[in-house]
Amino acid sequence: MIEINEVTKRFKDKKTSITALKHVKFTVEKGQVVGLLGENGAGKTTLLRTIATLLTPTDGSVKVAGYDTQKNPAEVKRRIGVLFGGETGLYDRLTARENLEYFATLYGLSKHETKVRIDELARMFGMRDYLNRRVSGFSKGMRQKVAIARTLIHNPEIILFDEPTTGLDITSSNVFRQLVHQLKRDGKTIIFSSHIMEEVSMLCDHVAMMHKGELVYHGGLEELYKSEGSQDLNYIFMSKLVRGNETYAS
Amino acid sequence: MLRKIYVKEIKDCFRDRRTLILTVILPIIMMSGMVFFYESMISDGEGETYQLAVKESSMKEAELIFSGVENVELIESSNLEQTIKDGNAQVGLELTPSFIEATQNGEEATVTVLGDSFSQKSTQLNAILINALTVFEKTVVAGNLLEGGIDPSIMQPFTIEHKELTNEDPSVDMIAFLIPLILSVAIGVGSGPAASDLFAGEKEKKTMEALLMTPVKRSTLLLAKWLTITTIGSVIGIITLGVVALEISLLTESLKNSVSFGNDAYLIIGIAILFSMIYAAFTASLIMITSIVAKTIKEAGSYSSPALMIPMFPAMIIVGIGINELTTFHFAMPIMNLYTLFKELLFGIVNFEHILIAFGSNIVCMLIFFVIGRILFMKDKWVMN
Repeated sequence: MIEINEVTKRFKDKKTSITALKHVKFTVEKGQVVGLLGENGAGKTTLLRTIATLLTPTDGSVKVAGYDTQKNPAEVKRRIGVLFGGETGLYDRLTARENLEYFATLYGLSKHETKVRIDELARMFGMRDYLNRRVSGFSKGMRQKVAIARTLIHNPEIILFDEPTTGLDITSSNVFRQLVHQLKRDGKTIIFSSHIMEEVSMLCDHVAMMHKGELVYHGGLEELYKSEGSQDLNYIFMSKLVRGNETYAS
Repeated sequence: MLRKIYVKEIKDCFRDRRTLILTVILPIIMMSGMVFFYESMISDGEGETYQLAVKESSMKEAELIFSGVENVELIESSNLEQTIKDGNAQVGLELTPSFIEATQNGEEATVTVLGDSFSQKSTQLNAILINALTVFEKTVVAGNLLEGGIDPSIMQPFTIEHKELTNEDPSVDMIAFLIPLILSVAIGVGSGPAASDLFAGEKEKKTMEALLMTPVKRSTLLLAKWLTITTIGSVIGIITLGVVALEISLLTESLKNSVSFGNDAYLIIGIAILFSMIYAAFTASLIMITSIVAKTIKEAGSYSSPALMIPMFPAMIIVGIGINELTTFHFAMPIMNLYTLFKELLFGIVNFEHILIAFGSNIVCMLIFFVIGRILFMKDKWVMN
């Protein structure tokens, strides 16, 4: 479903060059929920942006549902929904409904499809009461719900969440976790980055660990527990990082 | 798709109070201020009465000299300087004792005039005063010559006839300078917030990333946003010109008499509106670039402010050039041609060659700026923070 093939991403300016991704290679199969783990600056967001066609890889390629992200970005975009955490990215002067209608239009949904989909999402997230209110007066939780609904408006096969629960209260975080379970049941492919290990172990069946732009582990969560002899993802993550640092040091 | 994005952007922009205020209220206030200021300036002197402070000892003779001057009120004063300082008179006058008798007898006589050259009213009264004294001087000289048996015409060996070739009315010239200036400022200031919001604002609010994640082409997004800024600028241009036309025709007398388009009125107004729309499109392309390169709305404002100051400079150059001195260069230079074309139109001149040159040069520059904007918008570096 998603093939990340030896992807390297370098950011250059006049004086410096930063390699955010170094030969990252892994595959995500249809219906998998993959947790992307890593410290700040590990390259998680860069990788998600590259998959989402927002960034061009310096080397390597990414294929989504068989389409190359560079050669067929429009086909990739139709199949992907992205939510970058902490940033809800909504138009404050429009109502929640108008925001959703606008993005439905951009994804090419018909009027009827848009109406049905908005009703469905409003029911799913309990947004009916404030659907026709301007977003400017919304709480962070309400905004996050509308932003998730916008991500799902075109019913994408693949969903990328970048630290989606950042800044959310417990209730809203739980709503999000329930949503991921629901999407998993619906057979969606999900990659989400997070710092919260409990969240990852609760929601994901696979993990990809990143350190300084490199992929240090990718595989099933159960296999990881078995190979490391521990069920503590936090401990496993830290030990992987230590091993990664030793590798860099040597 | 373009239409749908455009409709959303327009709706979003007009829900912004800043845009609404700058689009509708600002042009009305600026144009109303200009119209009433120039109406009062042009009508200055018509029916105006000036106060001339006259020394007590000179009062009777001053009354004789100024008997034919209607709009000068003589005020008797013991201290001329104080009377002027108190604002009770604009000019002071003192004549030597027995002034009229002395001048008729060929004795030495002096006129002392006190005035304030920084005051417009004082300068105007001074001119009236000098004129009246010159007339009196000529009468005295003519009387003296006649007494001596000499024909007074000997004092005037020739007459000067001055024919004014230009039909330029100074008041129209002032309006021709100010209307384009206010128009350019109103279009720039009014469409600026929308331009900042549509690019830098979207980057700041992170809606740009969500937009770029949709399958819509970046060119379509850019075009829709540019059309939105152009529309706002055009609306401001039309409101500005509409307000000035309505106020001049309904609320002024002197200005209305100065500006007369004759049979070409609708054509001139139509060309003015069309040109203001093209100028709005040109401005939109320019400020769009400043917004694309900025990361935040504040930064976009910092970049666009100098760009919006540019129209001030051609105004300074054009103000001293007569309408018959305008060349193709003046019509081919964007921004400058806003002033030159409006100057011609306000004097009732419809020169299609000049109009085409002005329209063409603005469209070419607009396209160049648009292409630069497109190149920037296609690059991730400028689109995402």
